[in-house]
Amino acid sequence: MSVANSKWKLLVIGAICGLIAVCLAIFGNPANMAFCIACFIRDTAGALGLHQAEVVQYARPETIGLVIGAFLISFATKEYKSTGGSSPMIRFILGFCMMVGALIFLGCPLRMILRMSAGDLTAWIALIGFILGIGTGVIFLKGGFSLGRAYETSKLSGMVISLLSLAILLLAVGTNLLKQSTAGPGSMHAPIIMSLIGGLLFGALAQKARICFAGSIRDVILLRNFDLLSAVVGLFVVMLIYNLASGNFALGMNTPGIIAHSEHLWNILGMYVVGLAAVLAGGCPLRQLILAGQGSNDSAVTVLGMLIGAAICHNFGLASSGTSVNPETKELIKGAVTTNGKVACIICIVVLLVIAFVSKRQTKAASN
Amino acid sequence: MRKKELKLVVTFHTTAEAMALEKAAKERSLLGRMIPVPRELSSGCGISWTSPLELREELLSLMEELQIEKDEIHEIMV
Repeated sequence: MSVANSKWKLLVIGAICGLIAVCLAIFGNPANMAFCIACFIRDTAGALGLHQAEVVQYARPETIGLVIGAFLISFATKEYKSTGGSSPMIRFILGFCMMVGALIFLGCPLRMILRMSAGDLTAWIALIGFILGIGTGVIFLKGGFSLGRAYETSKLSGMVISLLSLAILLLAVGTNLLKQSTAGPGSMHAPIIMSLIGGLLFGALAQKARICFAGSIRDVILLRNFDLLSAVVGLFVVMLIYNLASGNFALGMNTPGIIAHSEHLWNILGMYVVGLAAVLAGGCPLRQLILAGQGSNDSAVTVLGMLIGAAICHNFGLASSGTSVNPETKELIKGAVTTNGKVACIICIVVLLVIAFVSKRQTKAASN
Repeated sequence: MRKKELKLVVTFHTTAEAMALEKAAKERSLLGRMIPVPRELSSGCGISWTSPLELREELLSLMEELQIEKDEIHEIMV
């Protein structure tokens, strides 16, 4: 049971997760997008035809593997528990906001760490926003923020998200119904079997170690506890070594080809949204997938919020663009945040603050 | 690094309940602190409360008085 209860063990598990990301990058995933929950859910939304951005459509086996890996390990270790009923529609909004923030920054907290390990200074700046968002969430937690408790539900209900993930995998490998990018990030991927195995392993390890990028910083701020942060450090160190050894380390901003932009304020605000939403929802995008796999209906709804959020981001032009080079003129084209994206980011902050203010712990006497 | 000792660990359904207990315990100068839920107790990543074993009854009555809903109470090495 206690395979993941010390800082060193967590550090090693984080390092193994880093190695999985390294393998996926070597075999075809975009280098600093070897593993990104927001990007991969966005790609999957595209594969399902929920948005029409042709360069980001691919049913990523990694996310499917994460959910199923968490389900299998939790089932095998008798930790699978189907629960739900903790303000599911508020969680849908939190998932939606998390995705808007992530696609303004261009990555989830996991990808932020990967970008940081590749020398991308814009990701280091975005980390400020992520920490501030988590800090804001902690203030609300201390003030009694609560979405209410979850209750046990039928076992099957908690399995639905895993079964849906399996269905998407079967559609991807057995039919040509899903869309698949022929250019851009969506066309860059490791072989399906490798991505799936990587996702399954990552999911199982993340379930055992309770890896959470928001939770790790929340624990440092709230409890002065560095256990969960150890796994993040392990992952970062492995990716840093890989990037240095492979020549992928490029210290700077406006680096073409890494799918990032240098609008610092919006990088900060985008990750602020992700950090705040993650604390209110009880976990970062990765953690939501893992919790959904181990039976949380509430997290499954949060994942659906992220999926729809990703589609809306591309349908309504909220997602930012990355810095690139014009192949003909060789001119640098700076990545940018769209006006719609900026408005959506502000709206998300307001919505999150309203949710945080009005959702308070209720005693039995008060609720009767 | 703290030395591990046998202690009470109270788990909750929500973080807010743990916060409420922390506030009440501080007001009454009850020994204890919040910690991440130990991995051997749960795969969740919530927050729990730990206190010396001898405070069990005081904690239970405090939680009852303030309607703080606990999940479980354990005696483990933390």
